[in-house]
Amino acid sequence: MTHTHLKIMAYAIFIVVVLMLPLALDEFWLNRTAKYLIFGMLGVAVSLSWGYAGILNLGQGMFFGAGAYMLGMSLKLASPTSLEQGNDSPIPDFMMWNAEPNAVIDLCCINNGSFLWIPFQSQTFGLLMAIALPVLIAWVLGSIIFRIGISGVFISIITLASGLLVRLLVVDAQALTGGFNGLTDLAWFTLFGYEFDPYSVTTYYLVACSLVAVLLVTRLLINSRSGLVLQSIRDDQNRAKYLGFDAAAYQTFFFCISAAISGFAGLLYVITSEFASPTFMDLTFSITMVIWAAVGGRASILGACIGAIAISMLGSSVSESELFVESWQAILGLCFVLVVLFMPQGLAGIAHGLCKKFIAYRTNKKRPYEKNKTEELAKGEA
Amino acid sequence: MLDTVFIGLSLGSVLLLVALGLSIVYGSMGVINMAHGELVMIGAYTTVLCQIYLDLNLFAAIPIAFVVCAALGLLIEKLVIRRLYNRLFDTLLATWGVAILLQQAIRLEFGLSFFGIHVDGLGPGLQSVSVPEVFNEPIMIGDFVLQPYRTFIILIALLLSAITWFLMYRTRIGQQVRAIMRNKEMAAACGIDVKKINAITFAYGSGLAGVAGVMMSGFKTVMPDMGSSMVVDGFLVVVVGGVGSLVGSIVASGLLGQLNGFVAFFSNDIIARAVVFAVVIGIILWRPRGLFNYKGR
Repeated sequence: MTHTHLKIMAYAIFIVVVLMLPLALDEFWLNRTAKYLIFGMLGVAVSLSWGYAGILNLGQGMFFGAGAYMLGMSLKLASPTSLEQGNDSPIPDFMMWNAEPNAVIDLCCINNGSFLWIPFQSQTFGLLMAIALPVLIAWVLGSIIFRIGISGVFISIITLASGLLVRLLVVDAQALTGGFNGLTDLAWFTLFGYEFDPYSVTTYYLVACSLVAVLLVTRLLINSRSGLVLQSIRDDQNRAKYLGFDAAAYQTFFFCISAAISGFAGLLYVITSEFASPTFMDLTFSITMVIWAAVGGRASILGACIGAIAISMLGSSVSESELFVESWQAILGLCFVLVVLFMPQGLAGIAHGLCKKFIAYRTNKKRPYEKNKTEELAKGEA
Repeated sequence: MLDTVFIGLSLGSVLLLVALGLSIVYGSMGVINMAHGELVMIGAYTTVLCQIYLDLNLFAAIPIAFVVCAALGLLIEKLVIRRLYNRLFDTLLATWGVAILLQQAIRLEFGLSFFGIHVDGLGPGLQSVSVPEVFNEPIMIGDFVLQPYRTFIILIALLLSAITWFLMYRTRIGQQVRAIMRNKEMAAACGIDVKKINAITFAYGSGLAGVAGVMMSGFKTVMPDMGSSMVVDGFLVVVVGGVGSLVGSIVASGLLGQLNGFVAFFSNDIIARAVVFAVVIGIILWRPRGLFNYKGR
């Protein structure tokens, strides 16, 4: 029994639990749990960029929001209220409200820029854009930031500012994006003729399988050669550069991967919750994601994922009880301070420590004469 | 035209008020204090409480808020920040937790609301502060109308900058703070009590936030989450100006304030903020260390 075995077991247990949950939950809870799993996916994205690439991105919500809005636009056009309006093409209701009195009732020219919506009549296009746009933003941002060699806090400030910038633009372009209200009253997502009812088991499995896939792919990426190079860059950028690695390229690549995961989470969130809102891009939400990852363990993909699921699940069930509804935020704040102070590696760090003890205990039982040796090893590693 | 410049100036002075404390704390200690906005909020609430219970006006609230927030800052430093030196990102996260706690403390009236006790002036609702009568008469200079309260804020911001400059460059403690800014280990080796100086620095920065809060309460609605957006603006100013540079913070807040004022004049407030963010991103990309970098010299 080695550490790797225990890790694989942890992943296996998590995946089995996630896939078995529909047996125990009713429709309402399935929908909710699906949302928490999506937050888990965001935890993975944050852990990848923060724990493994050393980039604390305070604008992760921008990528999530971009994903959500892109698919949301497609679903908005497919909703009955949009289909009723307009002559040849569907028109979102808020565009009608914001239109000039004598405007042509057609998607091409009802508002300035409404033509941008035309390709979104195809859901496949919306789906592709939901991944492509976050990646594009991340690529542009990342290639500038990492090429110039900006590091540490300044990356956080830039991502934070760009997140706020995008949010403001989305809110301001009311005729194009629905402004503060966002996109509401959306149609169900349809793929190959099948409609995904957000409260159905199918949608739950869509989300659950996506999460499992994201987890495993991210895991593989981290253990791949480029993942190892990435971690060496995080630990000592100059040394990695002297060894001949193009640090900026690796960082940009993983920044884009993290954005893609967030965008994917965004599109799944629109499918399950049937709305997209500018609050997705709030600074508070971006920092909440970081909190999830910190509590779960920033340096562990699975830990961050479980942290996100656990906190959001706890948060919403606790806020339903009379006693905690007021104080939940305060408790969360306190927990957060304590976690940062006393367990910087989060829950995953604790699990890691326990695993080590467990392994040491077993080896000692089997081969008592090796006891001293393992203890020395444990000390050395600690 | 002159009006727009004046609006820009007053926006800038508000930014400066918030950024001043942040700049000192970040510059000398390397601590990103996300709770700074909440300290501003506490300052504003101190004004509200002074008005309700002590019947004191805004002027009298300034020193009280300074002391209250400085004491609070000292407490935060001792309990949280002190354990996180050299863990820059973690201070950001931990102080974010502190910020949530402070917000909730006001919203829940320090927990008293659980026992059905209501304290006037606290709680989730909105509060307002009446400005002393001196500020009700607009000052006319020719055709130009000078809003007295805005002018007062500009003056206070400049005064605080001057005091801070004096403390930093003309006193013994200031000298020690600057030594720590340059090189912490070397300063410690020269016999400077880094922990003590850092505690004082943090308390002073928090106290400045308190004064900023008093000034805010005069023209903004006072509510528990008024601080969260301020800390972001403050940080942008600090980063643009250059970490630890007093001149940088003043120039940057003036610049961003004017930019905000002018763009808002030609379009709207939202676009103005967006432009400010875009310019900030541009400046950081162009000069990652800020316009005036203290450490680099």
